[in-house]
Amino acid sequence: MLKVTDLQVTVDDQPILKGLDLQVGRGEIHAIMGPNGSGKSSFAHVLAGREGYTVTGGEVLFDGEDLLALDVEQRARKGMFLALQYPVELPGVSTMVFLRESLNAVRAERGEPALDAASFIKLLREKARLVELNPELLKRAVNTGFSGGEKKRSEILQMALLEPKLAVLDETDSGLDIDALRIVADGVNALRSPDRSMILVTHYQRLLDYIEPDFVHVLSGGRIVRTGDKSLALELERRGYAWLDEGEAAA
Amino acid sequence: MNAVLEPVERYRALVDAAAPLLPGAHLDWLVAQRTEALEHFVQTGFPSRKQEAWRYTGLERVLEESWAPQAESVGTLKEADLARFRLSEDACVRLLFVNGRWMPELSSAATEVPVGVQVGGLRAALEEQPEQLVHRLGLAARSRQSSFTALNTALLDDGAWLQVSANTRLEAPIEILYLTVGQERTAIHPRNLLVLEEGAQATVIEHYASLDATPCFTNSLSEVLLGAGARLEHARLQDESAGARHMGNVFIEQGERSYYRGISVNLGGLWSRCEYHNRLQHTGARCDLDGLYVAGDRRLSDVHLEIEHGVPGCDSRQRFKGIVLGRGRAVFDGLIRVQPDAQKTDAHLSNDNLLLSRDAEVDTKPQLEIYADDVKCSHGTTVGQLEPAQVFYLRSRGIAAGVARRMLCLGFATEVLQDCSVTGFTERVQRRLQEHLEDTVVTLNGKEE
Repeated sequence: MLKVTDLQVTVDDQPILKGLDLQVGRGEIHAIMGPNGSGKSSFAHVLAGREGYTVTGGEVLFDGEDLLALDVEQRARKGMFLALQYPVELPGVSTMVFLRESLNAVRAERGEPALDAASFIKLLREKARLVELNPELLKRAVNTGFSGGEKKRSEILQMALLEPKLAVLDETDSGLDIDALRIVADGVNALRSPDRSMILVTHYQRLLDYIEPDFVHVLSGGRIVRTGDKSLALELERRGYAWLDEGEAAA
Repeated sequence: MNAVLEPVERYRALVDAAAPLLPGAHLDWLVAQRTEALEHFVQTGFPSRKQEAWRYTGLERVLEESWAPQAESVGTLKEADLARFRLSEDACVRLLFVNGRWMPELSSAATEVPVGVQVGGLRAALEEQPEQLVHRLGLAARSRQSSFTALNTALLDDGAWLQVSANTRLEAPIEILYLTVGQERTAIHPRNLLVLEEGAQATVIEHYASLDATPCFTNSLSEVLLGAGARLEHARLQDESAGARHMGNVFIEQGERSYYRGISVNLGGLWSRCEYHNRLQHTGARCDLDGLYVAGDRRLSDVHLEIEHGVPGCDSRQRFKGIVLGRGRAVFDGLIRVQPDAQKTDAHLSNDNLLLSRDAEVDTKPQLEIYADDVKCSHGTTVGQLEPAQVFYLRSRGIAAGVARRMLCLGFATEVLQDCSVTGFTERVQRRLQEHLEDTVVTLNGKEE
């Protein structure tokens, strides 16, 4: 599904990713953990095509295709989804119009016909139930006046609607209380499928209690420095990230 | 020769030539107003950039052509030509003005209008019931004459007249369409008088549009008189052709506890200026005014507001947004003046601008002049571009960059449109704005992608 080879990225000429390798197979869930400033969020944004990041080397293949050659919207239409850590508010932009425009753009790419208003609303209601999002919020402008938890749920709702092949969740757990975290995690788990891969970018092990990953990677200094199963996350929780640096030094 | 003097002479000759055809020659009070207006105009001439209120707005584009009212009528218009200009489905009365003249045969019959409502053309009213107009026409505008309002009075020919008697409530809107139709260098000077007596209620839409692309000059003046406790929702849409020149003036006088709610949208024209003047001279009055202006490539859109609080306990709130495209230019000048006696005034003014290209320009000047000490007043202005983070967000959901930018522009505009209760108005403006945006490449921070 995703093959990242020796990815090197700079921001304002500062190296951020320094040769990152990662392979995500179909249906797999990967967690990427790491200390602050390790490049986790940058990696998520580079995959989605955010401007401001310069790729200076390496390659990213998405379903066999050169991902980095695609525009932001083309990536999304081909099944890449980034749930943002801080979803932006779009005052005055109708949530319904936004979601329908988005869904129909993705459907067009898949060769599916545009949904009419009635079918769209039916589908939207169904997906809103999945993430326990108050349908009244959908009548507002996009994310405008939403609480932190509502914004995150709105991201998962969009993911449910667009049915991506690869979902990248950037610090989706940050700022959530335990109830909101459970709701978001339930939504994500409901979207697990043999055809859908996920990358969970997170600082804490907490999210992984709710969404069980197949692999855990540790990103440090712009590279994946360790890969393991979920026990690695528990070890990090116990020993902190500093332990890895010692390991690095010893190696 | 003085370049400013020449047009003044031209207009003076125009007024002399038009005089025999204008209504109300038998009304001394109107003749006196016309004479006074012409004198004012000849004395002051057209404003120049040396005057603060005109500092950013040159008149070259208005004065470069010899605009003149057209005496002969245009060919026949059919219902079908008019359908596309309809704004609200539920209007109880539709008045049509073509090149400034009322077309009663194409205006809908006011069958559902309650007793106590009189509505129609001002010219007809001057001839048939001048006693209704004598103390009202000119009441709001006369003491604050400017060159353009003076010209409007000197050339006063026709316009909309509405009078709602005390405590009469008109639920459905009255929709007035001013259409200019293909005659070169046509000038129209519509004069509207909207009178709501004590406790009356109404909704009025003024819609200025062009049937074709022939450039015309509109110099409209609306006077709004609200009695005690009266409520008016007043929507004004300027959507004339790309070559039009438009000068619009609205003068408002509010009685005690009256409520004026205005929405002003300025989309069309090569050169457009819209002014609102409101003097709050009776306590408990409230004025809410929202507005949107869009200055397309190489066009100018100018908005001037003058809200004066003269007595205690009045509220006013003005909220205007502007979008400037290409090499377009916008001017916003909003003044709230609070006189020494006007304690407990609550007045707020905001102006936000979105510049969609590196060459777009806005000159914005919100002003508070406060001479009382126990007031709540504020103003705020922003000038910015589309947020890259917002554009990215939409694109990351599969939406094409151009569509994403248009959605954000529409969202920006919708914030000032959404409180308008006139059915069909907001949707119309959104659709027309969308068309304007589609015509122009919306760039991000002035850069093509």
